[in-house]
Amino acid sequence: MPIVFACAASHAPGMTAWTEAAPKEQAEHFLGNYRKLGASLAAAKPDAIVALTVEHWANFFLNNMPAFCIGRADHYDGPIEEWLRIPKGRVPGDAPLAAALIDACLDGGFDPTFSDELLLDHATYLPLHFLNPDMAVPVVPVIINTLTPPMPTAKRCFAFGQFLGKVLQDSPKRIAMIATGGLSHWPGEAKHGKINVPFDKKFLNNLIARDLDRLTAYSHNEINAEAGSGGHEIRTWIALAGAVETWQPELLAYEPVVPWATGCGLVTFNP
Amino acid sequence: MSLYQLQKLIYHVNREAAQRERYRQDPAAFLKGYELSEAESAALLNVDVRMLYTMGVHSLLLRPFTLLNKISNEDYAKALKGLE
Repeated sequence: MPIVFACAASHAPGMTAWTEAAPKEQAEHFLGNYRKLGASLAAAKPDAIVALTVEHWANFFLNNMPAFCIGRADHYDGPIEEWLRIPKGRVPGDAPLAAALIDACLDGGFDPTFSDELLLDHATYLPLHFLNPDMAVPVVPVIINTLTPPMPTAKRCFAFGQFLGKVLQDSPKRIAMIATGGLSHWPGEAKHGKINVPFDKKFLNNLIARDLDRLTAYSHNEINAEAGSGGHEIRTWIALAGAVETWQPELLAYEPVVPWATGCGLVTFNP
Repeated sequence: MSLYQLQKLIYHVNREAAQRERYRQDPAAFLKGYELSEAESAALLNVDVRMLYTMGVHSLLLRPFTLLNKISNEDYAKALKGLE
């Protein structure tokens, strides 16, 4: 049983902070599908959400930047951004599940850091706002460094996701897995607003075709040049493709939303 | 140049409500807690987007920091014009 739901979703802060700046039809199509995905997650009745996520300087700084970090806290507060137009709140954690994952990793050849206190920024809190709107399902954040180089490779992210997936399949709990980030965007850069639609479409095609060789071959330089500094977040999607390797991804929505400055994607994975 | 210190200050302001409050109460006094050059201090006090960006502040530190300082998307883009 155990993994009962999986999806990947973008998390552009404009989705909530300046929703109305986007063309109405585009915003409604994307956010409507985001909410539907939340209903599907609820219908799967998960005991916990394992979130393959990123952060934007919410916790880690250049004094100590883990490649992978698993949150082992009893709860997480967010969002840190007062301009996000998502009310401040708290989502429960699942410390025993996190501890079991960390133990399994260390026994199985992965050495993530762990943290008993993490703040959530829009990277995690925005997807939870749509997918876990009552903040009722406990969350285990698994943070991947997609923020500042050097970052773990696509191949390593896939292997890490694949390993977590195997462990979670044996969990007595019902697990929803979510991946968040991407697709192409250049947040806060001089190129802010650029979206590389051909890159995004090719990436989605590779994901849906389950072309694992291609997914694991994305290099840092390729992502950086083609999908921007924000595009590095596709590592979470690649990790999820590893976690539910045999499931079939299905595209729910792709919208290059210029005022949100992001190629926004929603993909659900069907067992 | 002390980009590390400059970014550390912005990181603290962005993530911690109590630090943010101290910064807002008295920015000049808040800056004294960090080892900054004169140019860095001036860029921070003036919220000089173009200068901070050119100094190398990470875009995901700079944009949230400038949002806290009420700099609109339009003004932010204008400040970086030509740096693409």
